[in-house]
Order: sequence, then structure tokens, then C-alpha cells
Amino acid sequence: MMTCMEFRRQVGAEPSLAGPAFDAHRRECPACARYQDELRAMDALAARALALDAARLALPKGRGAGAGRRQRFFAIAASVTAGIAVGFALLVGGPRESVAREVVDHVLHEPGALAATVPVGPAALAGVLDPDGTRLRPGVGDVTFAARCVHQGHVVPHLVVRTPAGAVTVLLLRHREVDEPVRFEEQGFAGVVLPAPHGSIAVVGQGVKDLEGVARQVFEAVDRGDSIPAAG
Amino acid sequence: MNRGDPEMDARRRFGALCESLRPDLLRFAFWLGRDRQLAEDVVQEAMLRAWKSFGALEDEGKAKSWLLTIVRREFARTFEKKRLEVADLDALVTAEAPVLAAEDDQDLAAMREALFRLDDEYREPLVLQVMMGYSTQEIADLMGLQQGAVLTRLFRARARLRHLLGLAPEPAA
Repeated sequence: MMTCMEFRRQVGAEPSLAGPAFDAHRRECPACARYQDELRAMDALAARALALDAARLALPKGRGAGAGRRQRFFAIAASVTAGIAVGFALLVGGPRESVAREVVDHVLHEPGALAATVPVGPAALAGVLDPDGTRLRPGVGDVTFAARCVHQGHVVPHLVVRTPAGAVTVLLLRHREVDEPVRFEEQGFAGVVLPAPHGSIAVVGQGVKDLEGVARQVFEAVDRGDSIPAAG
Repeated sequence: MNRGDPEMDARRRFGALCESLRPDLLRFAFWLGRDRQLAEDVVQEAMLRAWKSFGALEDEGKAKSWLLTIVRREFARTFEKKRLEVADLDALVTAEAPVLAAEDDQDLAAMREALFRLDDEYREPLVLQVMMGYSTQEIADLMGLQQGAVLTRLFRARARLRHLLGLAPEPAA
């Protein structure tokens, strides 16, 4: 026969315990039964308390990507797999320089993406965009690469779109907010990061004429209910 | 689309894992370190390390415990490297008040604060059991403890919680 101490020792560690011996003790000792019920209720509350909403854990602006240790996951991961010696030193620039560097690093470390020339099928493209609730309206150009990539610790859609003006890399950065269009030239690439209601959209190319115009066409083609920001 | 490229395939699979498990890893790291910035950094570094050794993960069904182990190690490494010292608990609670708050549910808010105030050695196994649904043997394996030690910690964790919530007197040391 289980004693009160044995019962409480065991259910104190695992309140969900049940079985003939536990049931028998509960019938004989209302105080122990009440103790176990209290623990079960406490566990239920603890489970709710621990399951914090991910949004609640999101860092305030200025403390997220770019603050503290720089998020350099993708750069290093890509360097490992591709064997490319990359500069994944901590980024020390301001927000504009940071977002430019992040985007260009991503492009540099996935050279195969730009080499692909065969258009991606609609189902594959949907597989990349659907998780973000996004789709790409036809007409902007052939999509020759589409993947969900880890970028700065977030999974983002990464596309290569072959427009009449040239191929551009498009990253849909839901996690990265910019207050105004950020234009940059870095390591031979020109790019622009456009603010969107939910994050931003980066468009990067090499030798693309009127990149900003192309970027706006891409932006308009991305169906996510965004509006075009005014040129800054 | 490089569908036949093993590297791309690995990257996609890893990306999908990160996407699905990151919220739990972040919650775990937060309850471990009681600091959002620290949790973000730890999870970030853990993912980096995980990617480096992703090829060694034979059973992706075990990815969660594999990643949790990496997060724990990264947390320990960060703690050792930075020689982080736990500030006083009131300051910690104040700093993370936005996370701990529970509008219109005082019981929930009180429980979050009580969990926050638990000693590390009690909080971690409780989080693994209650939030992650781990068995005591799984917790023992993850933490490198005997199962008996885990049971003791869980018992004391709940006794301590009951005291912090005003449900029982302070347990004997």
C-alpha cells in the first residue's frame, strides 16, 4: 500500500501519474487526492504560462537583427557548404549598410541561384511563396530560381527573376523593416530594399539598367497587398 | 530550381526544420536565460552550429531534441564566455515585464513571474516537462542527470512554485 509520502513524492514530480496504486490511494486519502488535483491544475496553468506567443518574444525595434551579436547564420552556413571564403565578420555599419551587406552576402553565397536558367514551375513557386501568403503575378519575368532560404535566422523566399532588363535576385524579408527605400551598391551589386507593410522586399542585380524601375515592377508583381512607397 | 541538388535539398529541409521548431527553441532559450536578447542570440548561434552538423543528423524525427541539446550547449557556452551573472530577480522581472504580462489574467501573470523566479536547476526540467512534454527519462538524458535527480528537481520545482504562488509555506531546503 502506497503511503502519503510516497504518493506525494511521485505526483509532486509527475502530477499526471495514474494507475491502480495511485487510484487506490486517492480513494483512501482525500487530502492527497486534492493535492494531486491542485498540482494538475498548477501544471495546466504553467503550460499556458510557458507557451509564450512568439510575437511576444520578438525583440523591440533596434534590439533585433542588427543589435548585439550580428545574425550571420546564413553567411557562415553558406560558406561551409559552398566552401567560399566569406566575410562574415560582425557587421559594424548602420542600419542602411547592414541591410545592404546582409542582402549582398546572401546573393554572393548562393551563386548557383543566378546560374539557373530554366524557369521554375508554378507549383514549385507556389511552394516557396505560399507559406508567406504571397504570390507573384505573371508578367514581370521568368522565375529561374525559387527557394526558401535561411537568412539572418529567418526563412525567407529567395527568387531570381529574369526581367527584360536583366536578372535580379528578390528576397522577401518579412522580418526586416526599413523606414524608406534603401539603395546601395556593394561588391559589384546594385540593389534597393523597399519597405512593405510587413517587412521589406530586396531587389539586387548586377549591371541591370534602371534597377529601381525593375525593383518597382517586381514590387508591384508581388501580391501581398502592399502599396508602392514613394521614391525617397 | 535545382531540385536535384543535394545541397539545396539539405538547405530546404534545414530551413523547414528551423521554421517549424524555432518558436519552441526561442521559448526554451528564453525560459532558460530569462532574457529575450540572450535567447535570440543563443538560438541564432545554435542554428548556425546545427547547420554545420546537419549532415550528421540521421533521423530528422529527432531534430527537436537534437536542436534543444545544441541550444543548451550554446547557452552554457555563452554563459561561460560572458561570465554572465544573474542580476537580481526583481530587475529581471522588470526588464522582461512585457513578456510576462498577461492582460486580464492575473493568475497567468503570477505564474509567469513565479516560473521566472525559480532557480535554474528547477526551472529547466520543469520547462522541459511541462512545455516540451518530455518524460523524466528524456529530461535526464538531455540534462545528463540520473532520472532520480530529475524527479527530485521536479518535485522541488513544484513545491517552490506552490510557495511562490502563495499556495503553500516555503519548502524546507
